[in-house]
Amino acid sequence: MSVLHIDAQVVDNREVIKDHRVITCLAPDLAELARPGHFVNVLASEAASSILRKPFSIYHADPHTGLVAMLYQVKGPTTVGMAHKRAGDRIDLVGPLGGNVFEPDPRPGVHHVMVGGGYGVPPLVFLSKVLGQAAQTPQITFIVGARSKDRLLCQDELAEMGVNVRPSTEDGSHGVKGRVTDVLSEILADDVAVYCCGPDAMMRAVGAMCIASGVDCQVSLEAPMPCGIGVCMGCVVDTTDGIRVRACCEGPVFDARKVVWK
Amino acid sequence: MTHLSVKIGTLDLRNPVMTASGTFGFGVEMASIIDLNRLGAVVVKSTSREMRLGNPTPRITETPSGLLNAIGLQNGGIDNYISEKAPFLRHFNVPIIVNLVGYSVDDYVYLAQRITAAGAADALEINISCPNVKHGCDFSVDPLLTFELIDALRKATPLPLITKLSPNVTSILPIARAAIEAGTDGLALINTLLGTAIDARKRRFKLANVTGGLSGPAIKPVALRMVWQAHQAFPDIPIVGMGGITNGIDAVEFLLAGATAVAVGTATFVNPAASLGVLDGLEAYMDEYGIDDVRELIGAVKAIDD
Repeated sequence: MSVLHIDAQVVDNREVIKDHRVITCLAPDLAELARPGHFVNVLASEAASSILRKPFSIYHADPHTGLVAMLYQVKGPTTVGMAHKRAGDRIDLVGPLGGNVFEPDPRPGVHHVMVGGGYGVPPLVFLSKVLGQAAQTPQITFIVGARSKDRLLCQDELAEMGVNVRPSTEDGSHGVKGRVTDVLSEILADDVAVYCCGPDAMMRAVGAMCIASGVDCQVSLEAPMPCGIGVCMGCVVDTTDGIRVRACCEGPVFDARKVVWK
Repeated sequence: MTHLSVKIGTLDLRNPVMTASGTFGFGVEMASIIDLNRLGAVVVKSTSREMRLGNPTPRITETPSGLLNAIGLQNGGIDNYISEKAPFLRHFNVPIIVNLVGYSVDDYVYLAQRITAAGAADALEINISCPNVKHGCDFSVDPLLTFELIDALRKATPLPLITKLSPNVTSILPIARAAIEAGTDGLALINTLLGTAIDARKRRFKLANVTGGLSGPAIKPVALRMVWQAHQAFPDIPIVGMGGITNGIDAVEFLLAGATAVAVGTATFVNPAASLGVLDGLEAYMDEYGIDDVRELIGAVKAIDD
């Protein structure tokens, strides 16, 4: 594990939808090492009473430009501190973190299906980008879910990437009315590999659906991760092997078959 | 040349900065991030007779200037420590202190004998005070039980013993006295303060275990007070002070209160190299104030009107 503690320069920080922003930093070493599924632990609180780092999955990492981006929802001391950063400011990052990241299914002709909900979408956009760089452009479907149209993330970007976008909203304001599993159920087939990130309940439902269909499904779990480097033991996940493993080191990406959901 | 070395019993530390048990794993992860050989000692996670899965999640939550945890002593057990963790740690030139935890005197004696026989540590920290496990506090709140335990350990191993005290008592002094009379070489204080956190919106506790141990800067004043009290009562016993130490100045404050060494805990979560930052800060302080020997600082705090 190669973990960097970086004082990175912010180059851009903008709102993408209400209360959701993308912060882009110049961090060449991190950009070089980052893979889809990796995260960084950010120290950005302006409130002295909030001392801990908070984890954010990596949304973009470009080794050519050295830029790394995170998409975040503004809702607590750390994300409020992040939202106040302007181009030229510094941001304190530890990363890339994660001992197990998304592993592209190596089968030729495999149909990659991303299932993202809420701010689980960004690491899957990163994964889609990396997959899209292959010599033979693979088939990628991106199921993205939210409560309503105004909460769907990364819509324009996904359209530009040329992946098959399948939105679903609970209120029916855009795409399929319902949940991501309603869309997934139509797509599941033997040649599909599923990569999922979102709220626990969603990942659990997607995982169960894939397991029942015999389809491989990788889920990226979220947990409180004060250290992110494997020493605090706060982020453990129960596995079907009967052990408790650290989401930060043995994850955050797990085979859905291995996860014992709470 | 600045003199940084200190002693706890027969244990020589090249400098007074060590890690706090439970915040540094078994050194494996940290070794790829910082130079372990610069530390005074590495104190590894609590080790028990059998493997422990620890408590269910959520087992950690942030509180004002602090961290509330109820990990529940998750560890791989003594066999795993001796066969896998200790051989790795022995690649480094740094004293290893193993934190022992058990349910009975027999458990602790067994662990001490296994580690002594395997040469798997340079000293033992006796955890009589974990607030997150059932019976974890029985020893730490009872001077007679503390005496019985430390006395048995004293007879079971020649390794230096550091007894880690709980702050969750009316007075730490009777417990400290019992440990000293039984032959402990040093005291470590404080362990975490028992607390809880509630989510008003959900009307639920934030921890699955309901209660947890509070650490971080929030507890520093309590820790400093207890170190000072223990040093006043027992000026000859070395104390490893801990509780919210984040930088070199914090470490100096603990030394002034009477600690011989300090341990860095929660700060390591925020900054993986925090322990080395504390050491650098301590040296910078000594340079600035012309302190040649770190031992000049121990217990040197004065009253405001002195």
